[in-house]
Amino acid sequence: MLNSTILEALRNAVDGDGKGTQSGLITATNQLQTYECDGLTNFRTLPGAVLLPRSTAQVQAIIRICAKHGIPFVARGAGTGLSGGALPAEGGIVISFARMTRILEIDIPNQRVVVEPGVINSHVTDAVAAYGYFYAPDPSSQTVCTLGGNVAENSGGAHCLKYGFTTTHVLGLEVVLPNGEVVTFGSGAPDTPGYDLTGVFVGSEGTLGVATKMTLRIVKRPEAVQVLLAAFDSTTAAAQTVSDIIAAGMLPAALEMMDRLSAQASEAAVHPNYPVSEALLLVELDGPEAEVNAQMLQVTALCQQNGAWEVRRAQTAEERALIWKGRKAAFAAMGRISPNYIVQDGVIPRTALPVVLEEITRMAAAVQLRVANVFHAGDGNLHPMVLYDQSIPGQEEIALDLSYRILYLCVDKGGSITGEHGVGKEKQQAMGYMFSEPDLETMQRVRHAFDPQNISNPDKLFPRTRFCAEKTGPYTPHPLESSGVAEFF
Amino acid sequence: MPETPVRQIISPQSTEQVAEVLRRANEEKLVVEITGAGTKRRWGNDVAAVVQLDTTRLTGVREHSWQDLTATVAAGTPWTTMQSVLAMHGQRVALDPLWPDQATVGGVIATNDSGCLRLRYGSLRDLIIGMTVVLADGTIAKSGGKVVKNVAGYDIHKLMTGAFGTLGVIAEVTFRLHPLPKSSATWTITSNDISVLDRIRHQLADSMLSIEALQLRTRDKVFSLDVKFVTLPEALEEHARRLHAYVSPLSVEAGEESIWLSREGMFDGTRATVKVTFLPTHIASLISEIQDYGGSCVAQQSGTMIASIQPDAERIAALRQKIESAGGSLTVLRWPNDAAPRPDKWGPGGNALPLMREIKRRFDSNSILNPGRFVGGI
Ligand SMILES: Cc1cc2nc3c(=O)[nH]c(=O)nc-3n(C[C@H](O)[C@H](O)[C@H](O)COP(=O)(O)OP(=O)(O)OC[C@H]3O[C@@H](n4cnc5c(N)ncnc54)[C@H](O)[C@@H]3O)c2cc1C
Repeated sequence: MLNSTILEALRNAVDGDGKGTQSGLITATNQLQTYECDGLTNFRTLPGAVLLPRSTAQVQAIIRICAKHGIPFVARGAGTGLSGGALPAEGGIVISFARMTRILEIDIPNQRVVVEPGVINSHVTDAVAAYGYFYAPDPSSQTVCTLGGNVAENSGGAHCLKYGFTTTHVLGLEVVLPNGEVVTFGSGAPDTPGYDLTGVFVGSEGTLGVATKMTLRIVKRPEAVQVLLAAFDSTTAAAQTVSDIIAAGMLPAALEMMDRLSAQASEAAVHPNYPVSEALLLVELDGPEAEVNAQMLQVTALCQQNGAWEVRRAQTAEERALIWKGRKAAFAAMGRISPNYIVQDGVIPRTALPVVLEEITRMAAAVQLRVANVFHAGDGNLHPMVLYDQSIPGQEEIALDLSYRILYLCVDKGGSITGEHGVGKEKQQAMGYMFSEPDLETMQRVRHAFDPQNISNPDKLFPRTRFCAEKTGPYTPHPLESSGVAEFF
Repeated sequence: MPETPVRQIISPQSTEQVAEVLRRANEEKLVVEITGAGTKRRWGNDVAAVVQLDTTRLTGVREHSWQDLTATVAAGTPWTTMQSVLAMHGQRVALDPLWPDQATVGGVIATNDSGCLRLRYGSLRDLIIGMTVVLADGTIAKSGGKVVKNVAGYDIHKLMTGAFGTLGVIAEVTFRLHPLPKSSATWTITSNDISVLDRIRHQLADSMLSIEALQLRTRDKVFSLDVKFVTLPEALEEHARRLHAYVSPLSVEAGEESIWLSREGMFDGTRATVKVTFLPTHIASLISEIQDYGGSCVAQQSGTMIASIQPDAERIAALRQKIESAGGSLTVLRWPNDAAPRPDKWGPGGNALPLMREIKRRFDSNSILNPGRFVGGI
């Protein structure tokens, strides 16, 4: 696909100005291997070339070449995606944003920043913290993942319950369209006349072009933060408490839940000194001090009303950190109690939680497997982990099948096949379960308007027609996770 | 100016009926104007339609999952009607559009209207989690869902929000809801010096107080700054104390709830009404500019302003240019019938206009839905 003329043109696109001491073109096979997968490591494809542009103009030059020759390309941030979003097309091009990492503008009075796509999520907060501000969307990969990836996946985090997902925080974008044109969507000011293309682009998983600049909202830090941990005898009681907190008119900064199995694993891994119980609820409240104090009393009372037999309030920053540590370690900790496991990402209406949990337990028992559950309970985002043993013949297939049936259960209960990890390569077929043909066809109209040649991250997000069975994989810790840089969450 | 000639008014009662009407209109290439209560029908360019598709019989709150804080509503439902149903469980869609008693849910969405609450709860793009739309060829499509967190597929509902009916008919929409605040307090500070009020505005915006709304307005050479706190009763007093400290030596008065709809007053009389968007730091200079121009206005900290000014097309064009060069926009919402020459309502539309045209073509290839109403004649 990439002949020497094209490669030469690509090299010119990134090295043309002769400024870079290091070439922005990678073609050596051993180097290309770094880019053959993202966090979903059981899908691998070797790209034809990797480009490391330094500017919008270079990105444009690359994409013009792709458009001219019909070469598929995929943007890549840190490669921490969990659905195969940054997986290259066979012989296609990877556009890595590792060299576009500048924060271009910090505008505190207008509460916004302008960044290049390669900027790491937590670097924005680092840059504005001195002014008392932070960038709210906080995926747990935030110390490594890029804002380009966040925008493409519409990433979320524990605090998005109160503050909103990435989409709420993106005001404007500069995008190179798949035909090579550079366009501006939105601006620092709201309601730019025209269609809300920013809104459509965020969460489009790299299929509508490449973002080269983004204007983001930053938020004032709350005056007070308090965390509470409550232990219950049943997940139903914990789930009812979640509903009661919401019904009382409170919007906590975070509302997280863990079942017995996952708490057990965390305890084994990082020793947060959790009470041994069927369900743990973690509530974080933030806001003006007087408000947080009063709400904390209310939350405590609601926990007790629902039978919580232990309610702990973190009194210091250290205690707060310890409570969170156990929660954040839940995924990686699973290795302590099971040789292999699959992590799913589904969403259900909060009220369906007890029913769905019961059903998951039943489904797991029927195939003699265990499922551990960790959820962003406030917004109904489940991360069921199907535990199994690869060395037992046939068990992996059973586990995979169960993990997909759990996903379909979420859809049946009025939920979604993904709350934050995206569809990518992993859940293409599940899209067909959640959406009808006309729904998907309507989305394709958007896709075709942006990318008539189908070269921007092709064969993702939409159901494939050729394959009948879907393949996800056992969970293998992301290298970042094994090295302790990031925690799965 | 005479009303746009309409030959036939059709008022479907179901999504399927909407689809049937559009399918036929599309086959015969009949231009369709979509209408709700008509409160904002003059926003955007006029449409010369053969069919008027009236959505006001598509009504009702279809589902209110109050424990999940979500609700699904038919698009022709008047905004206030919806809110009173949701209020039975102490909830609301946290948005305060214009003329809520008449305005339909669909019309509010199609025009992406918003008010003072935007500062805290965001605009419709942050509040809509799913939608059913009918495309020009009769395709019925859903996007999003009924859960707050969901990243499956493209957010078609965001494309429909603010599209002025040029891409499809909104049939049903699912909102995320917020609890009605238990206690709030509105305060107003008045001065004839905008810079003093602007300093207080900035201090409030940069504070850690629980602010629901923050607006600056001017009328008859007087400026007012309004702020609304929402927090628990226990914390309200403390909020008021801190406000007094910021404001001193000026005085603070308890404000009326009605001031939060004062932008409705910008649509009176023989003047033109414009919507301006801006960066918060430009708010004071913009307001001064409007005042120098003999106008009055209500501006939100979130960056939107409704202003009432002389219907002078040339001056408006100059004002627009200035505002755009500062990163904002100006659209004309209302123009007195007899005032000539008429202005360009939308402005230039930016470098993504060709892409927007292409999206329109993919969604409505015969251009039958509200053709010409939108930016760039889309
Ligand atoms: C340990 C761990 C924990 C995680 N925790 C969370 C979590 O809490 N919440 C959550 O939501 N996710 C989480 N994730 C998933 C992942 O971190 C997010 O999806 C993140 O946004 C990906 O960013 P990235 O820079 O790694 O993007 P990549 O993986 O490199 O790319 C992701 C997608 O974005 C596209 N893309 C990248 N840059 C651009 C651009 N400039 N323009 C257009 N498209 C672009 C790619 O083509 C690809 O489709 C976690 C992952 C790991 C490994």
